[in-house]
Amino acid sequence: MTANCSSRSGSWCRTPRVLASGAVLVTTSLALLSCGAPGGETSSSGPATSVEDEITAPVTPEQVAELGDVTLTVWADQAEQPLLEQVIPAYQEEYPNVTVEPSYRSFDDLIATVVNAAASSSPPDVFQGNIGYAVDGALVEAGLVRPLDDVASAYGWDEAPWESSLGPARWNADASAFGDGTLYGVSPVTEIQGIYYNQAKLDQLGLEPPTSLEELATDLQVAQDAGEQPIMLGNADQYPATHILSDLAAADGDPADIRAWIGGQEDATFVTDGNREAAQTMEEWAQAGYFGQGYDGVSNEDAIARFANGEGVFFVGGSWNGASLGEGFGISALPQGGSGAIASPWHVSASTDEVPAAAAFLGMLTTQESAQQILDGGRLPVVTEGVAGATELEQQTLDALEETVADEGQVGYYDWTTTDMLDVMGGSLQEVMAGRTGVDDFLETVQSDWADARAER
Amino acid sequence: MSTAAPARAVTGVDRPGAAAPRRGRGRLHGLQWVGLAYVAPAVAVFAVFVLYPLYRTFYTSLYDYDGLTAATWVGLENYREVLTAPELREALLHSLVFLVFYAALPVVIGLALAGLMSRIRVYGLTVFRALLFVPQILSSVVVAVSWRWIYDVQGPLNDLLRAVGLDQLTRGWLGDFSTALPAVGVIGTWVEYGLCMVLFLAGIATIDREQYEAARLDGAGPIREFVSITLPALRPQVSVALVLTITFALRNFDLVWNTTRGGPGTSTTVPSVFVYQDAFQNREVGLASALAIVLTVVILVVVGLVLAALRERGTGARAARGGARA
Repeated sequence: MTANCSSRSGSWCRTPRVLASGAVLVTTSLALLSCGAPGGETSSSGPATSVEDEITAPVTPEQVAELGDVTLTVWADQAEQPLLEQVIPAYQEEYPNVTVEPSYRSFDDLIATVVNAAASSSPPDVFQGNIGYAVDGALVEAGLVRPLDDVASAYGWDEAPWESSLGPARWNADASAFGDGTLYGVSPVTEIQGIYYNQAKLDQLGLEPPTSLEELATDLQVAQDAGEQPIMLGNADQYPATHILSDLAAADGDPADIRAWIGGQEDATFVTDGNREAAQTMEEWAQAGYFGQGYDGVSNEDAIARFANGEGVFFVGGSWNGASLGEGFGISALPQGGSGAIASPWHVSASTDEVPAAAAFLGMLTTQESAQQILDGGRLPVVTEGVAGATELEQQTLDALEETVADEGQVGYYDWTTTDMLDVMGGSLQEVMAGRTGVDDFLETVQSDWADARAER
Repeated sequence: MSTAAPARAVTGVDRPGAAAPRRGRGRLHGLQWVGLAYVAPAVAVFAVFVLYPLYRTFYTSLYDYDGLTAATWVGLENYREVLTAPELREALLHSLVFLVFYAALPVVIGLALAGLMSRIRVYGLTVFRALLFVPQILSSVVVAVSWRWIYDVQGPLNDLLRAVGLDQLTRGWLGDFSTALPAVGVIGTWVEYGLCMVLFLAGIATIDREQYEAARLDGAGPIREFVSITLPALRPQVSVALVLTITFALRNFDLVWNTTRGGPGTSTTVPSVFVYQDAFQNREVGLASALAIVLTVVILVVVGLVLAALRERGTGARAARGGARA
């Protein structure tokens, strides 16, 4: 239209031309605001911890006081709110010159926005990421989070029980593999997978809590024969079934293999006997109706609510589901497996000016006192020594955690391994369970996504 | 690069401006600057919030970019990847199915309801009209959560089926590979038909009553009246309704994401689900931008085709009617 206009004469033509030049002005000036290639301004080299910021011993109130009146901005999953509402007042009492400004988001919101927030000109000082390439990997690769090895030795996170738990927060130099290397995060909260059972129904059916997957498989048939739904599953979000798969695989296979595959170690593969058997079991159980009907259309929240209301005999899932269960429910750890891992790690922004205050904050989150508060809030603390559960289920879950950790069964989650693994594995597993895809195709699909992601790194 | 965007800006804004002076030719000469001042704020807002983001999206689509570290120029590689990925072709097919549920069905239902409502005198018509429009004003997350409950294994839909003895039809509608896509589609129909109905009712209100009287004198029944008078007169409203609903169908994300997340398997994936996943989960911002641009072009082409089809027939029919009357 503009081109036609310039070649014609006639007054009506002038309006668009003037408008055009106006628009050119607006757009060019906007274009000038942005410089060069996208992201060109961000350096990709990791930051070095400067000497004066190095933490060599637990931070004292005097050291923090030297910062003057400062504000520590904190971004957290809203699941942390009950804990932080206890920790922050205690922190501000001990370090009166620091004002903590927490902001809470749902988990989905947090992981979708935290990386951009950390890369912004005013990043939060302390924030939670998420294990795996999508969030933590991006944060480490872009040099947005401070290495925490010095803080770890000052606060004893390089010893048990922390040392083995924090593996998933360690990254290699180019952020291409995790599980080993420099520590970038810490989490006082951990998770295990287990078999929740409805005690009253087990009594009715004359069953004992299962202590192995073979026992569970027999119990499932007994439950079904009695007209009960054996396992309550809500798989609309696709992850719950992948968690059951990984439990089965961790029980059948070698946890070390699974950890290597998740961490992106070279030559690792998903096509293992353990995974094949696990996927076959998932298909058999689904085809046998052990998960009931329509599980792909039920959310995990709805499923746990139904289980809490007395539907279904078993619920196989993560320890965070326990918070929804009251009296009359128990949990068995999955022997030599159980997967699970620490929850979303806490990071310190690489550009924060308040390193001592941030380190002190992480220090306070990892005390025994916080551990008790975490358990009281229905979650599992990494520190279990001197911590006691208020209910039978809490105490059972704590015992199951200790067993799982002793077995080195905390392998993490399959979907950490590539940014889109949850969709690839979750969607494909739904097809296996519906009998639409063969187990071998499933293993190949997952492995080729994994290999593609490795090739791109 | 910066010259490409303004060219689009002009085609976007000059139509109303060009049409008016064309009628007056030189007469509006002195007023042009004043007119410009009036549209300047709108042009500025349009440029900042529509054209500039569009340009940045296109620009980003030419890079391999994770949203954080320095981007690498890859030219049209992202577009090649978008156009060759089999899962995207499947998603586009799902979008075509959604065109039926999100655009065709709402327009048909809206026409039927509007035709009925304009004829039958119901007490409290305004209330009915308002109620039928409610789905359109509800937040889509609320809509999605409500329908998840309706479709649930133990939800009211299955209760209803069981009550009438159709037990063998009950299922988790959103969790079943064969029913998930139409089930999500029906939600779209429910959301959109109220909008179509209100548009058509407004259109019917502008039809000269004398035409109906004349038709009745000629012995036309209700159906004949609807087909010969109401329907042709509603052509502009139908094309507006189609533009809105087709756009909604093709860029639909929130309903799918909040009901099935594209599952079970990949049975309800749509292109915008991949845009979201690539941009926010996989941190492949360049690829997501390329897909978004392709999606925009597809929407523009489909909407353009529909508009062209309706406009052509419109003038033809009007000319024919004029001829008949003369």
